[in-house]
Amino acid sequence: MRSAITVLFEQIKYFYLVRRLSLYEIKSNTSSNYLGMAWELIQPAIQITIFWFVFGFGIRGRAPIGDVPFFHWMLAGIVVWFMISQSILKGTKSIYSNVRILSKMNFPMSVIPNYHIFAQLYPHLVLLGCVLVLMQFLGYGASLHYLQLPYYLFGTLAILFSLTLITSTLATIAQDVHKFIQSIMRMLLYLSPILWPPQTLDQDWIVTIMKLNPFYYIIEGYRQAILGNGWYFIDQWEYTLYFWAITIILFIMGSYLHVKFRRHFVDFI
Amino acid sequence: MSKTVKVNNVSKRYKLYGRKLDRLRDLIVPGKSYGKDFYALNGVSFEAEHGDIIGFVGVNGSGKSTLSNIIAGVIPQTSGEVEVNGQAALIAVNIGLDRKLTGRENIELKLLMLGFNKKQIRELEPDIIEFSELGQFIDQPVKSYSSGMKSRLGFSISVNIDPDILIIDEALSVGDKAFAEKSLAKMKEFKEAGKTMFFVSHSIGQMRSFCEKVLWLEYGQVKRYGPVDEVLNEYEQFLDQYKHMTKKEKNKHRKAALKRQNLVE
Repeated sequence: MRSAITVLFEQIKYFYLVRRLSLYEIKSNTSSNYLGMAWELIQPAIQITIFWFVFGFGIRGRAPIGDVPFFHWMLAGIVVWFMISQSILKGTKSIYSNVRILSKMNFPMSVIPNYHIFAQLYPHLVLLGCVLVLMQFLGYGASLHYLQLPYYLFGTLAILFSLTLITSTLATIAQDVHKFIQSIMRMLLYLSPILWPPQTLDQDWIVTIMKLNPFYYIIEGYRQAILGNGWYFIDQWEYTLYFWAITIILFIMGSYLHVKFRRHFVDFI
Repeated sequence: MSKTVKVNNVSKRYKLYGRKLDRLRDLIVPGKSYGKDFYALNGVSFEAEHGDIIGFVGVNGSGKSTLSNIIAGVIPQTSGEVEVNGQAALIAVNIGLDRKLTGRENIELKLLMLGFNKKQIRELEPDIIEFSELGQFIDQPVKSYSSGMKSRLGFSISVNIDPDILIIDEALSVGDKAFAEKSLAKMKEFKEAGKTMFFVSHSIGQMRSFCEKVLWLEYGQVKRYGPVDEVLNEYEQFLDQYKHMTKKEKNKHRKAALKRQNLVE
């Protein structure tokens, strides 16, 4: 518990570091490409097209989901997935790939995973903006439901930070963890309500198990906010409680691990 | 005179593992130790006063770099206490730079990580760029730099943040003569300002002209600590002997030292 307070306090005190370091992280990621930041839009666009073609056009034969066309349905959910998967992958290797550059032990190490997540936030906001604009033309105009988006965004940042606190520490000790997370993320794409709707399964218990994945909550929340067909976090208030309970537990575990090992990160490399 | 650096009974233990699995076991299994202990430093104690310039000498593997890294706060010690009054800056050949960012961006990044604010960074930046003599290369990515340029950039950053304690780990041996002289002049400036400096070098000539005290490390332990001439004369004598030792004698000498480090072959 003490370490959780320490880590939380560091995030507030060094928030300016998070903000500024994330900008350098973006620069460092994009400097070697000619198209630079544009890739943050091109890559998702290619993936969305392929997923739409395979799942919407091919497998589902253009059948809508409920009364929402597949493309719209997928787009509203997948928009946050890019940020989730990139943040987890980058956040996991953030400490072991940066510890050399730090060269000072008194640097508040807990901001390292956080600024890698923030570096993903800017492209996400741009992508989200594009999707929202596109939605106006696809017949799903702006509505009061958009007001939920900041809440889900905050939830996403909170759970990503809690999770990467754990994974970045473990990955520093054993880099195999990064490979493991890579496989998990590939699996999660298919086990989250992104490409197909689990609600149509006739076995409820499978859906319940899938809902243990906290990103299920985020994705469904985003979808209802963008499509404007519900207030997910209020309608499913038990699920909201579960989500925040998981986030807090992960955060306490992550802080404990992080604080326990951070003095020795350099020695593990 | 006030003490600026106090090193009290500091040891640094590394674990040597025969197999990868042992490393994992060592982490997970409580109460049992796997792998061999290796003491890079073993019970090192000394004190430095305000304005001292101390050289670290010793043959390869004697723990000079480990000791400088511990004083600079880059790596933690295993046991013992290190008390450093003031900001310490380490100047080493391999300073951590982001290869994809430009020199200018690296300066900003490095200063940011050292805890400077936006305004201070803006003030320091021109001095650092000028000192580094990188010219138009400052806006090129660091991966295009030669090793000399990289260490010049690192040196310029560390020197211009005006640290209270400076640790120079064989960093003056890179770069051309003109830059080395400029660096030495800057060191002299620091010397006059009464800053504490540590100097790791294999060049005994440089040490004689620059240092006041010398700490002689041998396989992780302090062999001698005292005025420059006394220790260096003895060290040179030892080097002479060491050079002329037969392989067998060298081995014997090493074994005796390693025994103290708890690593018997």
